[in-house]
Amino acid sequence: MATISRPLPGLDLKPRSLRVSDYLRWSVDHKIIGVQYMALAIFGFIIGGTLAMLIRWELLTPALDVMADGQAYNQLFTMHGSVMIFAWIIPMMAGFGNYLVPLMLGAKDMAFPWLNAFAFWLLPPSLLLMFMGYFAGQAEAGWTSYPPLSTLYSMDGQTLWALALHLAGISSILGAINFIVTIKNMRPEGMGYFQMPLFVWAVLATSIIIVMATPFLAGALTLLILDRVAGTAFFDPARGGDVLVWQNVFWFYSHPAVYIMVLPGFGMLSEVLSVNARKPVFGYRAIALSSMGIALIGFTVWAHHMFTSLQPQLRIPFMITSMIIAVPTGIKIFSWLGTIWGGKIHFRSAMLFGLGFLSMFVIGGISGVMVASVPFDIHVHDTYFVVSHFHFVLYGGSVFAIYAGIYHWWPKITGRMLDERLGKLHFVLTYIGFFFTFFPQHFVGMLGMPRRVAVYAPEFQDWNVVISLAAFLLGISTFVLLYAMIVSLVRGKRAGANPWRALTLEWATTSPPPASNFYGDPVPFKDPYGYGTEAAFYYLEDLERRYGKPEDAAAPVGKAASQAAGD
Amino acid sequence: MAESTLTREERIALANRRTGLLVFQISWIMVFVCLMLVNVQIRANFASWPPEGVVPLERVLPTIAALGLIVSGVFAWRGLNAIRADRAAALRQNWLLAILLGAGFIAIMAYEWVTVPFSEQYGALFRVMTAFHALHALVIGGMMLRVYRRAAAGAYSAADHWAVEGAAKLWYFVVAAWMLFYAVLYII
Repeated sequence: MATISRPLPGLDLKPRSLRVSDYLRWSVDHKIIGVQYMALAIFGFIIGGTLAMLIRWELLTPALDVMADGQAYNQLFTMHGSVMIFAWIIPMMAGFGNYLVPLMLGAKDMAFPWLNAFAFWLLPPSLLLMFMGYFAGQAEAGWTSYPPLSTLYSMDGQTLWALALHLAGISSILGAINFIVTIKNMRPEGMGYFQMPLFVWAVLATSIIIVMATPFLAGALTLLILDRVAGTAFFDPARGGDVLVWQNVFWFYSHPAVYIMVLPGFGMLSEVLSVNARKPVFGYRAIALSSMGIALIGFTVWAHHMFTSLQPQLRIPFMITSMIIAVPTGIKIFSWLGTIWGGKIHFRSAMLFGLGFLSMFVIGGISGVMVASVPFDIHVHDTYFVVSHFHFVLYGGSVFAIYAGIYHWWPKITGRMLDERLGKLHFVLTYIGFFFTFFPQHFVGMLGMPRRVAVYAPEFQDWNVVISLAAFLLGISTFVLLYAMIVSLVRGKRAGANPWRALTLEWATTSPPPASNFYGDPVPFKDPYGYGTEAAFYYLEDLERRYGKPEDAAAPVGKAASQAAGD
Repeated sequence: MAESTLTREERIALANRRTGLLVFQISWIMVFVCLMLVNVQIRANFASWPPEGVVPLERVLPTIAALGLIVSGVFAWRGLNAIRADRAAALRQNWLLAILLGAGFIAIMAYEWVTVPFSEQYGALFRVMTAFHALHALVIGGMMLRVYRRAAAGAYSAADHWAVEGAAKLWYFVVAAWMLFYAVLYII
């Protein structure tokens, strides 16, 4: 180790400085594309969040008071769902994948850089089409767009909505092909599949789901568009069609899509928990392979969304598969608990959101098993219980994981630290706001409050006021993060190469990385989660010496630092 | 193999293209599977298929067209093998036959498409499925044509023929996708 303890001669360590305009034009650099995805996603998040605030404002009282009519409310929640899924969570996950996968593999770029850029640039037109709907009679059939609501009873915005999803779907497929090829062919020597970081495993599983499932969305949307504009009647029972065709095909994509939205979050969580607990991941193979298990079983559960419309004899098989999919998810949860158990835990903002994820996702998972059982599901079908369940999974799961990921990788992406105090404030507000927004929805749901209505029975008002106030708090909490980002960009502390002393390869270069990612060929540390060993200590020392340490003066240096960090 | 002369970077790039194309084929065939399943689910709602009073599709010409398409795929395969062995003239001959047979297939199916009598679900499913397939056949056929013209200009060799390989493999995709549709439209 002593031979490489000095900066190598001729190593020009100038982290890149990029201007805002660099992110607004075509670029084939995966890091720029990653940031483009994330920026677009955060923009989508703000729009979707604003729509959510309007929903909660409307639901403060049982009467119709904010929206002009029920139709306007239908458009509101339709756009909220569509934007949050297709313009926030999916692109955000794609952004993390784009930025991190080549870095974690020690590669210079993705396998197909041009295709990568093309996949991203399909998204802005997609978002634009979706919003053009407001000038053509916006889509109002919910994000699931069941016929006949989406065929016979909606205006031209529905067609634009379908076209928008077509573009987003093709973008996802192209991106996923790129990920699979990159992961299969571009790993460095010495990194087999089972030495890959778990985030890369998660992206691989996600990409497999995308390439197998998203074509079904393309098929369904094509038929929907034909029904709307070409006079066919595939979804019209009056003319020999069948509405269940849509439900089957749509959910054959959209249930796996749930895992598309959460699996990369699982991957981020594995990184964040291990780094901040200074312990090897517990059950590496179990976590890696359970992602594959989820991907596989995820294709066999779609009809649990249709318990009330499905042929009765098919309910039990789908109930069983839906419960089985809790097993690989449970394996992950216990592996993560095993990872932090007995660790030297650093309660940084990323870790707080990681732990927040664990608690919230378990609630969402358990309510998932509840709605997977047919008798209970028939009772709570189309009520706020379901709304609560999927927000616990998508917000408490995916969004908490995204927040953890933002706090964890922001220093790598920008070269500057986020303020930890603002991060903790953000966490506390989000945690409280989130819990009191969505947990009481279980209650009103079980009492029978239907979802997708602007006008509800007066006896639900008390809880709805609590929910709305908590939702406003949740909305405000987001601005703490945005403020922290701006503060960091303006006067954040320099992050150095590896502020968290992590062992995966993305930290073995400057922050932000140079255009070609690494200075020479990076050599992966033999175990990406081998925290706490002497070899890891020397490896991390060497990284700091080569690529710079964090600016934070309070941080102790050398052996003391690493003992404090628990290496 | 002439590919052994490639540099490491070129080998990785070629491997990436091959894997990428394979993943794309596996992925995109799912749209065809989806339309097949839609066909199966819709027909399950009818007592008989074609529904009572609807004229069944004519089978002789489409079967000839399907056989022609398979043979066209074989010629594309022979063309690819020829250029792998550096026989550029054999590539051009096989490729031309593949294109002509492909064009014949598209012409016959276009005729079927236009002449199929109107009937609500039966006719609509036939038209949507054939048109969807024909779009792929036309786009990929266009690529075949371009490869033929570049082959005529002597652009390919055993060491450098990715365009031939890509076009041939996409043409196999067109053949395989039609096998799925043919089964569901004419056999089941």
